[in-house]
Amino acid sequence: MDISTISIVLVLGLLFTLAIGMPLGLASAVMALVVMIMKFEPTLLTDPMSFGQGLLTSRPGTGPLYILTQKIFDLLTEYVLISVPLFIFMASLLERSGVAKSMYDALNFWLSRTRGGIAIVTSLMAVLLAAMSGIIGGEVVLLGLIALPNMLRLGYNQNLAIGTICASGSLGTMIPPSIVLIIYGLITETSIKALFTGAFVPGFMLATFIIIYIMIRTRVNPSLAPLPEPEVGDPEGWEKGRMFGGFLAFLVAGFTALLLLRVGIYTATGRNQNIGEDQDAPILGMTEHIPYLVGIIVVAALLIFLLFGFKQSREGWRRGKGLVPPFTVIGIVLGSIYGGVTGITEAAGMGALAVFLIALFRGEASVGLVWDSVMRTLRSTGTIIWVTVGAAALSGAYTLAGGPTYIAGLIVGAEMPTFLVLLTMMVILLFMGAFMDWVGIVLLIIPVFLPIVKALPIEEIGIIGQLEPRQVAVWFGVLFCMNMQVSFLSPPFGPAAFYLKSVAPPHISLTDIFKGFLPFIGLQLLALSVLLIWPSIVTLFL
Amino acid sequence: MRDESGGWLEWLVPFAFIVCAGWAIWHTPAYILDFIPPENQSLVDQMTGLHERKDVTPNMPGLFGGLADPIDWAALILIPILFVVGLRTVRCAPMEFEHWRSIDRVALFLGRVTMMLIIAMTSIMLYEVLLRYAFEAPTLWANELTLWIAGFVFMLSGFYAMQQRCHIRIFLLYDAVPRWIQHLFDIISVVLIWFFAFFLIYGSYHQVFYTKFYKWEMFGTAFDPPIPATMQPMVLITVALIAIQALVNLIADWNQVPADKNIAGDLDEDELEAIKRSVGNA
Repeated sequence: MDISTISIVLVLGLLFTLAIGMPLGLASAVMALVVMIMKFEPTLLTDPMSFGQGLLTSRPGTGPLYILTQKIFDLLTEYVLISVPLFIFMASLLERSGVAKSMYDALNFWLSRTRGGIAIVTSLMAVLLAAMSGIIGGEVVLLGLIALPNMLRLGYNQNLAIGTICASGSLGTMIPPSIVLIIYGLITETSIKALFTGAFVPGFMLATFIIIYIMIRTRVNPSLAPLPEPEVGDPEGWEKGRMFGGFLAFLVAGFTALLLLRVGIYTATGRNQNIGEDQDAPILGMTEHIPYLVGIIVVAALLIFLLFGFKQSREGWRRGKGLVPPFTVIGIVLGSIYGGVTGITEAAGMGALAVFLIALFRGEASVGLVWDSVMRTLRSTGTIIWVTVGAAALSGAYTLAGGPTYIAGLIVGAEMPTFLVLLTMMVILLFMGAFMDWVGIVLLIIPVFLPIVKALPIEEIGIIGQLEPRQVAVWFGVLFCMNMQVSFLSPPFGPAAFYLKSVAPPHISLTDIFKGFLPFIGLQLLALSVLLIWPSIVTLFL
Repeated sequence: MRDESGGWLEWLVPFAFIVCAGWAIWHTPAYILDFIPPENQSLVDQMTGLHERKDVTPNMPGLFGGLADPIDWAALILIPILFVVGLRTVRCAPMEFEHWRSIDRVALFLGRVTMMLIIAMTSIMLYEVLLRYAFEAPTLWANELTLWIAGFVFMLSGFYAMQQRCHIRIFLLYDAVPRWIQHLFDIISVVLIWFFAFFLIYGSYHQVFYTKFYKWEMFGTAFDPPIPATMQPMVLITVALIAIQALVNLIADWNQVPADKNIAGDLDEDELEAIKRSVGNA
């Protein structure tokens, strides 16, 4: 059977199986089988009695169908895939520990006197949570539980509060590490590290858009975000600045002390001596760095005692120390990936361990905590991985049938202008995103879209800046990720809305929630157009 | 005994099950040679050599004139016993699907086993990270063992998710149609799943169970775990289990009124309470 018929049957078949509510992964697996039958033994469809005569069925136990098993097996032995359950594990531990609450208190202390402070705190906290894990559900729930009651109590505009929480909470999949990017990288064989690096700037750009929007809205119309009554004994004016300075000085001193300890260990074990030519000397880990490190500690101590005052600094530390655990976890996860220490999978494992140790240190760890977190991990893993399994089978079968070449030829043959092609893809992605989970889209649509994008004339992509051919996959991955940001908020199925609904006060309806999203969807679309107009923003640090 | 999920028995039994199953899987060549030896003598010699290289207890004599030693036999006998004990002691957690029947105990117990595997996998990986970066003494086996265990986690979690009805589905049309059409949809789904399972197994059983499993194909590395020999059969077994579970679900849910589905996932009340407690505003 020719590939155009196969493609049409595939699309219709997928629509049908999904419409009747089949699990996504199994629906793709079934369609993979259908594609194989159409490709190798179409007579089986017209005449089922011919079973056992064609290419596919004549040799029981072997033949082309074994390719499907082989494809699934190949996916299972991908080492990076292990990072998915590990990141989920880490996120579930995080949700159940009090780390988030302390972080909120710490941030809120510094920003409580700023107009729109809690909304800004919410966004900042979302960015920190996003840099720790790559899952959105838990983030929206946490923010909804911690920040929403406070904002509503202070009389914040409800739409602003809701939109801030959900838009910021969705950043989890945009700012690395992100499960969306991991799966995208696996499916398209793109470097996940490069994807993470590429997503940094756009992720922070979107976060900045959100914060700027909050600041402008609340300054133009202060009634949207009333300030809290100042508490008795609250530090005023410069006092707070000094406390913050003291807190920072403590932070720097502590970090430097750790570095110093590292030099000590290296010197004791001889790791920083006799560095071979093929090895890099550990950064700030050599004996000659000791004077500098000691110097930094002395300067910090002088600042604490002379400039900021010891009492204020200590108070500042007490108020701000809730920020230390998140920064430690971020440092461990991103530091392991970018410091060249370990791969993404090990970084995820270490992040989980770090969160567990912090919970232990705070006295929150228990057997029950681990049990619940592992169970949640199991459930989410089964859900995500099996969509991947089905899609691996489907994309294997469809590639075998010559699908991607056919579709790329179709688009290129249509001679549409590059910009229109990209725009059409964005509309399709946004539309699909409104109805389907991101895993489904990345697995079903991206294998079709990416070859097309790669076939487009590269100099016509974007208006400012120029991509290199090897960067196209990374750019498109980040672009896709930005699309999915919108999909988390877009009605009728924006998951963020449902997560928030489950923790919001009962008088807030789903319609209210979606109404609150509108300006934030606008911000996301703005960020998306920046990526389209200026593609090389993704490759700034690549 | 505690009546809620997470009691010590639910930790211990799956863990013991993993130990026995792991031991038995590692020594499978001995069982193959004892029970169903190949007719071809060179293959027998090849497998015997392989077994002798991989035997954890090389100096223990085999029982009944075969290669399997007493520990191998003990592991093999303990597996079904622990499985049955596990089925009897598993407790449904509040976050799990509440309308379960006794047949679902299989999925629940294997779910517990998978949970233990996740913990084991994470621990082994962290152990390797510690050895490699703190003591600069990397192991040969830890990475591949992690990969191997992860394969089982990925497969079994799908079976568990099937029983828990937490696979991603789209309810747009499904929720809008009357119950009898929903029944029709469910039947079509199950038929299609069986259709897939049948063809997948029909089209690869010889490759998987003979070429990979029976000849005990290894991974071809220094540690050389039998990943192809175990994971490929696991794929077929899991697909079969999922197909069976799909039928079980169809029967079990026939008279159930479909619950109010939470599209954003399965965040239930009890879990929310746990998270609320952790942020201190329960």
